[in-house]
Amino acid sequence: MEETRNSSASEGSGASRSPEGRGGPRTGGPARRGRFQGPRPPRVCPFCAQKAKSIDYKQADQLRRYLTEHAKIKARRKVGTCAKHQRMLAIAIKRARHVALLPFATENMRGD
Amino acid sequence: MPYELMYVVRPNVDETSLTAVTEKVDRMITAGGGEILKREDWGKRRLAFPVMKFTEGYYSVLQFNLPPAGVRDLERALKLAEEVLRFLVTRVESA
Repeated sequence: MEETRNSSASEGSGASRSPEGRGGPRTGGPARRGRFQGPRPPRVCPFCAQKAKSIDYKQADQLRRYLTEHAKIKARRKVGTCAKHQRMLAIAIKRARHVALLPFATENMRGD
Repeated sequence: MPYELMYVVRPNVDETSLTAVTEKVDRMITAGGGEILKREDWGKRRLAFPVMKFTEGYYSVLQFNLPPAGVRDLERALKLAEEVLRFLVTRVESA
C-alpha cells in the first residue's frame, strides 16, 4: 500500500518540475516577505535620523531600548538600524556591559 | 591621544578612601605623562549584575590625554587596584 503511494508521489513531482528546477521563477501565490512576519521596523535608522556619528556606551538608559527582555541585542530587522549604526550600537552595548551598566542576561535567566 | 576612562569602585569604601582612590587614579595618569581634562563622578549606582558579590559601585568617568605607551601602564595599575571592580579605557574620537 505505502510503496505504491510513495512511488506515484515522486513520479508526480518529477513531472511537474520546471526545467530551471527549484531556483526557477515563482509563479502564482501571494508574495511572501520571508520568514519574519512581525511588525515592520521604521524605514529610517533611528541613529541616522539623529545624524549620530558615534554611539555612547555611557547612555545606558537609551541603549536599553535596543535590548530584548532577556537582555540580548535586538536584531536589525526589529529596530531598523542601518548596518553601520548596528555595528556601533553593538560595540556600545558590549562596552556598557563590561562596566556593569547593562546586563549580559536578565536576573531570572541566570543559572537557567 | 585623548582617552576616556570609566571605573567602578567597590561600594564598601568610606568617603576618605574613595577620595584616596580618586587621587590614586589621577596619579596613575599623571605619572605616565598624562593630563586630565575632565572628571565626572556619577556617585553610587546599582550594577546591572553583581560583580564580586557587590550590587552597587561608585562610578567615575575621566577624560585625559596620555601617550599611547602610558595607557598600558594605566591599565595594568588599574587591574592591580583592588578597590576598582571594573574599568574601561576608550579612545575619544573628535576632541
